[in-house]
Amino acid sequence: MQRTARMKRELQQLEQSPPHGVSCWMKNDSIEQLEAQIVGPTGTPYEGGIFQLEIDVPERYPFEPPKIRFVTPVYHPNIDNAGRICLDSLKMPPKGAWKPALNISTLLTSIHLLLSEANPDDPLMTDIATEFQSNRQLFEKHAREWTDKYAPSQSQDKENQPPKEKTEINDKASTSDNIFTSNKASTSNEMSGKHTHAEQQTHAKKIKLG
Amino acid sequence: MHLLNKVTTVFQGQEFYIAIELPNRSLQQAKICCDWRLKSLLTGYEHLLEQRLQQSTTLAGFMEELKTIVERVGQDGDMSPASVASPRFYSHLLEELAEVGWERLSFIDANFRWLHLEAKDSCDRRHVLKIHLHEQHPEVAPDCVTELPLPFHFISTGSNSLKNLFSQFKQCLEQYKEFWDAMDEIDSSTWVLEPEKPTRSATVRRIALVNNASLQIEVNPVQPTVLPKCTFLGADHVTSPLKGNLCKNLHHWRSAVSLLDNLQNVLEVTFPSPANTKKEDLSVECGICYAYRLAGCVPELTCDDSRCCQTYHRDCLYEWLRSDPTSRLSFNMVFGECPYCSKPITMKAPNK
Repeated sequence: MQRTARMKRELQQLEQSPPHGVSCWMKNDSIEQLEAQIVGPTGTPYEGGIFQLEIDVPERYPFEPPKIRFVTPVYHPNIDNAGRICLDSLKMPPKGAWKPALNISTLLTSIHLLLSEANPDDPLMTDIATEFQSNRQLFEKHAREWTDKYAPSQSQDKENQPPKEKTEINDKASTSDNIFTSNKASTSNEMSGKHTHAEQQTHAKKIKLG
Repeated sequence: MHLLNKVTTVFQGQEFYIAIELPNRSLQQAKICCDWRLKSLLTGYEHLLEQRLQQSTTLAGFMEELKTIVERVGQDGDMSPASVASPRFYSHLLEELAEVGWERLSFIDANFRWLHLEAKDSCDRRHVLKIHLHEQHPEVAPDCVTELPLPFHFISTGSNSLKNLFSQFKQCLEQYKEFWDAMDEIDSSTWVLEPEKPTRSATVRRIALVNNASLQIEVNPVQPTVLPKCTFLGADHVTSPLKGNLCKNLHHWRSAVSLLDNLQNVLEVTFPSPANTKKEDLSVECGICYAYRLAGCVPELTCDDSRCCQTYHRDCLYEWLRSDPTSRLSFNMVFGECPYCSKPITMKAPNK
C-alpha cells in the first residue's frame, strides 16, 4: 500500500528533478524494478563512464531499503564482482542506516558520491582496498581501464559494451585476479586464459604509452 | 347456472379476497380468481391447487385445504411487501408531484417509493430531500433523508402531502442559512484538509495552518457564530502559542463578525488560503508513504522537534518503528526516533 503511493511520487520526482549525474526509470512499466545510470564523477578514474544499475523495490518498501546493484563492472573497494554495493544506507538498522526518510534519489546520490570517495575501511574487495590505500596511482590506473572498457559513454568506443551475462562478470573477476596475482591465472579456464592474455598485452601497451 | 362464491381468508393478519366460479356446480372445473398478492404467493403451486380441487368434495373442504396451502407457502416464502401498490397510490402521487412542481423531482425509483426533490435556498445552494413513501401513503407519513446538519423531523400537521413536507424542508433550509454561509466562507478561503469533500451536513472542518499544523473546528449549526469547539493538531511549539492566543483573546469574539474572521482575529493568524498558497506548499503529506491520503487516513502525527515538524500517518510511523530494532514498546507506547531528524518520537500503539 505504502509502496505504490510512494513510488508514484518518487518516479515523478526522479523524472522532473533528477539528482546530479543520475537518471532512473521503470524497467517494465512496473514499480518493482527500476534501472538507473550514474555518470562517473569528474576528477575521478570513473570520469567519462556511464554506469548502469538495477534497483529492486521490495514489497515492504519504504520499510525496507531497495536492493541496488551495479550491472556495469566497477573497479572500486566497496563494489564487488557481482555489482553489490557496500553502503550502510542500503542495509536495515541496527547494522545499516536505512530509514524511510531516504529514498531512491538520495541513495543514488550517495552511490554517486561513493564513486568519488571510496571507503577503504569497510571494503567488499580487500585486494582493491589494499591497493587503494598503498598504491593510489596504480588503483586509479586500473579503475580508469575498467571505466574505459566496461562503462564507456556512447560517443566513445562501441565495441566494449557493458557485459550483461554473469559469465562476463566472472570473466572480469578472473581478469582482476590476473592483474594482481598472476599465479591465479593458471586456475582460470582456457577461454578466459586467452582473454586475459590479450588483456595483459593491452595493459602492457598502455603502460608503455603512459 | 354459475355459483359465485366470495370468501375471505386471513393469514398472518393479511386478508385475501378470492372468487370461485363453478360453471357446472362441480369443483373439478372451478375457476379461482384472487387478488394479485395471493396469486403471486401461490405461483408455482398451481398443480397442488388442482390436486386439492379434484380431491375435495365440498367447497368448504377446499377452502380449508387452500388455507393450509397458503399458510405453508407463507412460511416457506416471504410475505414481502408488495412492489406494486394500488392504483390510487399512483394517481395520488402524480397529483402531489404536480402540486410540488415536476421540476423539483430529480430522481424517482422504479417502484415509485423513493423520490428526490431538489430545493434551492435563498443563497442559491442546492439541497436534496430524499423521500421514502410508505405503502399506505398518504395515511402514513413518509421517511426522509436529508443532508442537514441536524436530523430533519417532518411534523405532520394534519396532512402528509408532499407539498406540506417540501415546504417544511424549505423552511428548515433557511434556519441553516447562517451556518452554511459560515462554512462556505471557510471552504473557499482556507485549505480544508478534512473532510475531503464536505457535505452540507458536515459540521467539522480541519483547517490547514502553517508548519504542518492544523486546526479542527466543530461548528454549532444552530449558532454558527459562537466560538466553535477547537482542537489543534501538530507540533507543540506551533500549536501552543495559538492555544495561548485563543485563551487570551476570547473576549474579542464578536458574534456580528463572520466565523472565519473571528477565528483569525482571536488566533492572531491568517489561514493559508487557496488564493496565496498551493496545497502542496503546506507539505502535509506523510514522510513515509509520500501521500496525503492513504486508505482514507490523513497524517495525524507530527515530529515535535521545531526544526523538523515532519508529519506521518499513524499506520506508516507504527510500521516503521516496528521494523526498526532500535525502537521499543512499553505500556502500549512506542518509543523510537523520527526517521527524518532522529530525535525521540513516541506514539500510542494502534489497537489492532
